Amino acid sequence: MRPVSTRSTGVVLLWLLLAGFLVLGALPNQTASIRLGGLSMLWWYGGLLAPLLGVLVAIRWLADPLPVPPRDE
Amino acid sequence: MTSVSRVLAVWLTPVALLAVPAALCGRAADGLWLGLAWALVPLIVLGLHAGPRPPGGRRDERGSLFPVVTLLLAVGVLLWANIALAGDVAVWLGAPRWQGIVVTALAGWLLTAWRPLRRTAPLLLSIALVAAVAPLLQVAWAVGLGPIAAWDRVATQAAFRFPPASPWVTTGRSLATAHGRAPLIFEEVHRLTAPAGGMLRARTLDATRPAEIEWTLAPGQSVTLRAGDELVPGATLRLRFEADKRVPGAPASGMAWAEVRSPRWLDRIGLLVTLLVGAAALLRAGLTLRFSRNGAAFVAAGLLVAFAWAQAWAVYAVLQSPDLFLGGVTLERLLEVPGAALFAEPGRRTLQALLLVAGLAAFLASSVALRERLGALDPTGGGEIGSDPGLWAGLFGGAALASLWPVDPWALTLLALGGAGCALGPAALYPPPPGRVALATTAGVVGLLVFATFAAAQLRGAGGALLSSAIGYPALVGAPAGALVLWLGRGRAG
Repeated sequence: MRPVSTRSTGVVLLWLLLAGFLVLGALPNQTASIRLGGLSMLWWYGGLLAPLLGVLVAIRWLADPLPVPPRDE
Repeated sequence: MTSVSRVLAVWLTPVALLAVPAALCGRAADGLWLGLAWALVPLIVLGLHAGPRPPGGRRDERGSLFPVVTLLLAVGVLLWANIALAGDVAVWLGAPRWQGIVVTALAGWLLTAWRPLRRTAPLLLSIALVAAVAPLLQVAWAVGLGPIAAWDRVATQAAFRFPPASPWVTTGRSLATAHGRAPLIFEEVHRLTAPAGGMLRARTLDATRPAEIEWTLAPGQSVTLRAGDELVPGATLRLRFEADKRVPGAPASGMAWAEVRSPRWLDRIGLLVTLLVGAAALLRAGLTLRFSRNGAAFVAAGLLVAFAWAQAWAVYAVLQSPDLFLGGVTLERLLEVPGAALFAEPGRRTLQALLLVAGLAAFLASSVALRERLGALDPTGGGEIGSDPGLWAGLFGGAALASLWPVDPWALTLLALGGAGCALGPAALYPPPPGRVALATTAGVVGLLVFATFAAAQLRGAGGALLSSAIGYPALVGAPAGALVLWLGRGRAG
């Protein structure tokens, strides 16, 4: 079994961001169309919040760990 | 070229960059899904594990012809889509189609053939960024609204009407340039004038009976259509529309444009699967990508900036040029500076030139990156396939020739992503054990065959409601078929 790495965490979080859009769009009574500050909730999430969080996830979890410097015995 | 700039250049082709604002203009919620998936999918693919590597870290090179040929075909189709878009842009801006095609194809081939110019993708991407953002900032400044206020203005429009300064109203345009898929149905009485004359056909409702009427108009002659009348597609005459009348094919209102309708789930999943396996094939197959924190940040930020540009550009375009809805939103119309009355000459011409430079720079960057990408997948030839001027001349020449006939560039891009994705994607995301390259090839062939079967049904326009999503997005079926073969093969091996 593969170990759970930081990259796996990042990938799961990115999937959740995508799933969030689908869930928001499926809420009853057109909840996603509700306007907040001039923009619909769906647009706040899909156009602004989720892409920004995607960048943060990439920076925090998708980078490879720095190589461990060789230890002098 | 660094992996970071290669990833961005391969993914941010001009067609992809314009498909998102075009979708946002047409259907806001669906366009938002396309943009979000388009921005996040490469990060998901790059974040997935590459799987176990063969002992010694070397690739098993047997049977590696299949991915090389598949990716070569996919690159050819991607070049075709982008060169066809250049032809569409030339026609839209009033030049002959072949001029846009020749300039773009020749520049692309020269850049890929001339060795000293091969490491220019980062520079070209930077030029594209600056040249695309400058007109956006100018438009925002001229409109006097930020993107959120502009979105609010669009979403509260009572109707989308022809602006008095629109070229469709002042000088008229050829109907051949309105080649989208939306029918030209009029919602109110509308007088059309043919400045140069020509033949016009319309379907009208005579009492309750539909009828088809044909007019032969003298230069300057007008014809009046009523609500419910529809222009028959295929007319090529130049027409002038009336100012302040509703644009045929536009959403009923801003609220209708912005509303979140019940989504077609399978279509959304189909698009996601196509982008996912396509990204796996283009960005991942046969490569081991390692990103530093700065590299990951750069890729993610590049995708974010591209998505933000697409959203803002779509909103300002709808606000200032609602006539882009006429006949359906097509990509080339979004490469025109919106708002005919916003800028005077020569400022408008400068902004238009900047947009064209942005498109050409993005195309050249993606051409160079695709060439390097292909070379990296050709271990047996030492990457020779990426530096063969004859091969690339044939590829650009074939793409240019095919582009002489108008096609839908986004449909071609989805075809390339889906086909390459079904052939290479499953093995890239779920690699077979070391030494089982034949299993990856078998899975790829099965995935590609299933994809081709459904893509052929798409071309024939076949399929009922049940299969419509699978036919619309053949990767929805092809990719799982390939993955199933991989899974069964691994099970038998284990």
